[in-house]
Amino acid sequence: MANSKQATSAQTTSVAVADRLKGMLSNQSTILVGVMVLLVAVFGSIEPKFLSAATMNNVLTDWGSVVLLAVGQTLVVISGGIDLSVGAVVGLSGVISAWTMVNVLHLDSTATGSKATGGLLVGLLVSVAVGVSVGLLNAVLINKLKIVPFIATLSTMGAALGFSVIISSGMPIQGPANYELISAMDAKTNPFSWAILGSALVITIVGLFLHKSRFGLYTYAIGSNTFAARAAGISVEKHLTKVYALSGGLAGLAGMYVYLRLGAGSPSSGTGRELDAIAAVVIGGASLMGGIGRLWGTVLGALILFTVQSGLIMIGVAPDWKKVVVAILIAAAVAAQGLQKSNRRS
Amino acid sequence: MAGAEKREVIYEVKNVSKRYGSVVALDGASLKLHAGEVIGLVGDNGAGKSTLVKVLSGAHEPDGGQIFLDGEERSWSSPREALDAGIETLYQDSGLAPHLTVSQNVFLGREKTVKGLLGKLGFLARKEMEHDAHADLERVGIAVPAANRPVAQLSGGQRQAVAIGRAVSWARKVIILDEPTNHLGARQAGEVLEVIKAAKKKGLGVIFISHTLPHVLEVTDRIVVLRLGRIVKDAPTSTFTGDTLVGTITGTIQTIKVEGD
Repeated sequence: MANSKQATSAQTTSVAVADRLKGMLSNQSTILVGVMVLLVAVFGSIEPKFLSAATMNNVLTDWGSVVLLAVGQTLVVISGGIDLSVGAVVGLSGVISAWTMVNVLHLDSTATGSKATGGLLVGLLVSVAVGVSVGLLNAVLINKLKIVPFIATLSTMGAALGFSVIISSGMPIQGPANYELISAMDAKTNPFSWAILGSALVITIVGLFLHKSRFGLYTYAIGSNTFAARAAGISVEKHLTKVYALSGGLAGLAGMYVYLRLGAGSPSSGTGRELDAIAAVVIGGASLMGGIGRLWGTVLGALILFTVQSGLIMIGVAPDWKKVVVAILIAAAVAAQGLQKSNRRS
Repeated sequence: MAGAEKREVIYEVKNVSKRYGSVVALDGASLKLHAGEVIGLVGDNGAGKSTLVKVLSGAHEPDGGQIFLDGEERSWSSPREALDAGIETLYQDSGLAPHLTVSQNVFLGREKTVKGLLGKLGFLARKEMEHDAHADLERVGIAVPAANRPVAQLSGGQRQAVAIGRAVSWARKVIILDEPTNHLGARQAGEVLEVIKAAKKKGLGVIFISHTLPHVLEVTDRIVVLRLGRIVKDAPTSTFTGDTLVGTITGTIQTIKVEGD
């Protein structure tokens, strides 16, 4: 604090330098990277096998399915909302996509070669379309019927879960399993499978739009002060529609990601994933009050979640402890946010 | 104020009325604003100031009467329409988006994008906007520490200055300031008054609504007094003293209704 006081009395340049230093120290991503390094060091010293490419691939593969949800969730949370439907959308989009491949394209798990590849591409489109549709439905409920996001997405979550059980009769639908594509999760390009690289590409694009473009600016503005955003001429409803559609679309993409791992569309494949996504967003430093958050933070937050999960299993801790540790992480992240805020005010 | 009368009338309302149920909030109010003129709009609580502001800014449609901008009859169905026509309004606590930077707030809704394809995709020219925001604010007499600072880190006075600076730098014809010096310290209020003078110099018509009568007497060319939904006095500021202004507002001084000239 004393440092910053001296800086304010000095020239603007030194203020900027001090700001930058202070910014780095209080920066959520610096803390997150520190936590990551600490976790890896602790797990690695207890169980050296933890520091292997195979572990890294496991962590990243799990990360890939949730980080897509978390990325969409980050935008929704920054806009001041929440999207509880994304986990259910993973199941629904996987089920509808598998159902389409089996019943419309007449491909089953024995399909191979280019036929299966084509089918899976159709499946991908269907999956994303299902996600976008649920996102648009969320937007209608929020914008037109003026239902708060928590309740609006809670009801679409229930409906999506219900429909996926109805369509699949509660059983996973086995679809085409072209090994070439199903093996996308295999670490051929060790330790990065192309599915993970694909997720990374999607994240990068969304990140650029969130932090560098008008789309992102409006998302922050709406979450920060909806009244001011509207007074500035921003069409708040139109923008929120895009945000929820994107969140749904990314959940649809995650649905296909999970399908590729299972070779089947399972109605329960995304159950509870929305909470992992929200946890990643919160650990990453976004505020549920809106207006605050960085995509990079969410990406690290999700990585920490799965590092903890894999690490605990590898050092032989019962998996049930994972939930307790994640709970502690969330509480710590939110507490750290609060402390940072009060520091800044004083 | 000399010469203001000779300038063209930029914004005018004739005989506007507004009722809320059985309550007459505004009863046949007429007002002329000239380019480069500052009008003070004063009156007790419930005199009809806010209603008149809402009519002028497009937030409410009047039940009767006419609105003219540059001599052309207009009607606003939303604040956005008035905004697009060059009328900026600074509401009492509309505020800014606290998590956005100064320049992001100044340019919100009117961002500059980079050239080429990325610009078409909405990618923003951040440096350019920071530079321009700084220059725009400086031009209207506001010294803001850094355009890349989040507004949440500014003091209340600085925030208000940014909000006013934003309105002044974007306004093309009229700027309506609803209690802009409220909750401000003496020095900060002084800065706000300087900004109003700068807006006047720029040739804008300014409508200044305030309870702080010394500020009104200092910065305005003309004072319009509202009482019970009617305009009871519309005269050059030089004809008022602090005491006669208070008397006119409270009604202890008898006023002759000013007929539209």
